[in-house]
Amino acid sequence: MVVSEIHYPASVADLLYLQRENPAILLYAGGTEILRERGTRFVDLPPVIALIDGIQELKSISRSEGFVDLGAGLKISELLAIKKGTLPESLVRNLRGIATPAIRNLATLGGNLATRRRFMDCWSILACLDATIELRDGAGPRWINANRLADDAGKPAFPVGALLTKVRVPLERWTHGTTKKLGNQAWPSDESATFSMIARVEKGMVESIRMAWAGTTAFRFPELEGRVIGLRLPFDPEDREAIVEGFAEAAAELDPNSAPRFARIVDATLELLGK
Amino acid sequence: MTITFILNGEDVSVRATSGDRLVDILREDFGLLAAKADCRKGTCGKCLVLLDGKLVPSCMVPAFKIRGREVITFEGFVQTVEYEDIRQGVEEAGLETCGFCESGLLLALGSLLESSARPSREEVLEAISSVQCRCTDPETTITAALSAADRRARRTYRRGRQ
Repeated sequence: MVVSEIHYPASVADLLYLQRENPAILLYAGGTEILRERGTRFVDLPPVIALIDGIQELKSISRSEGFVDLGAGLKISELLAIKKGTLPESLVRNLRGIATPAIRNLATLGGNLATRRRFMDCWSILACLDATIELRDGAGPRWINANRLADDAGKPAFPVGALLTKVRVPLERWTHGTTKKLGNQAWPSDESATFSMIARVEKGMVESIRMAWAGTTAFRFPELEGRVIGLRLPFDPEDREAIVEGFAEAAAELDPNSAPRFARIVDATLELLGK
Repeated sequence: MTITFILNGEDVSVRATSGDRLVDILREDFGLLAAKADCRKGTCGKCLVLLDGKLVPSCMVPAFKIRGREVITFEGFVQTVEYEDIRQGVEEAGLETCGFCESGLLLALGSLLESSARPSREEVLEAISSVQCRCTDPETTITAALSAADRRARRTYRRGRQ
């Protein structure tokens, strides 16, 4: 059993210093995924740990014209307690589907996005919303699109050695939205996944639509979404079939196991959108 | 390492390793057996406690995380006036819990009434979803929670008038 050295940094600057001194340091916030993966009496943790849930800078919430910035250290329950109307309804729906209220009192937004084994619940909706995330490391802060947390093969690509500090969520108007969770949620397996869709429909025509899938692989296909834009509702059955086929083929290239389920849920989503 | 924290209202210290979980510390170092270590994945709800007033599974809290914080176990909760509302609500509804889920379920109801004085049926169902025991039926639990909320509202009103 490894006895770890524990640090309690009070600021992001302290944390970055610690990270520079100990490149293999484990950043521990909610820790729900870390402890869930190790279901044993004693938990084997790395030799150096930084408990980061006391860093106030990581818990800020600020709303500006067109977007809201959320500190990565905010717990899921804290996000759900934010005044109604501050966050996009589709994001709130997604957050409400995460685990149980007790787990949501521990789990953080940053932890949900920074896991490297698989994609968790938030990625799909944040990818749809075109959220950006602020990363900090020795080179300073930088913003990347949440979609870039998946590599070209759809696998988790959270940058090693980076600290996720903020998530910037654009506040656009969406008329439709859905989040579906598939597979075992209590004990996430290779079959577990989250699907999100948001759309803006005006006068019976699709103005914008985004769909994303997050499981062991994650994907979104903006070029295929483009084929839906401009179509009138309800969709012509042949159009819908061709669109679904396109999504299924694209998904099969990245994840043949998930592609059939992804295609079925895209089909059902498009059908519902038309009603 | 030595960890100092507040346990059921008292300042306490315990020697623990970074790999110890709170549920095991409570049971083995303090003899507080209401929280039970079962799934060790935060799912079953048998080890729920209040950490700084928030309901959490104690199997998902490592020792180093409780430094300087307040933990209330079911043993501490039953000493409070808030518990009395829950107990009476449970009794009135005829809710019979089993030994496994009792502490988690009643702490979940207590936590719910702290955040929502007049919870809806949906809020009760959401709150008890943290406990995965199927020995009670949800309808009776809802009745118990609403009855406890009524009692608390009456008690708070009376106190306000005194």
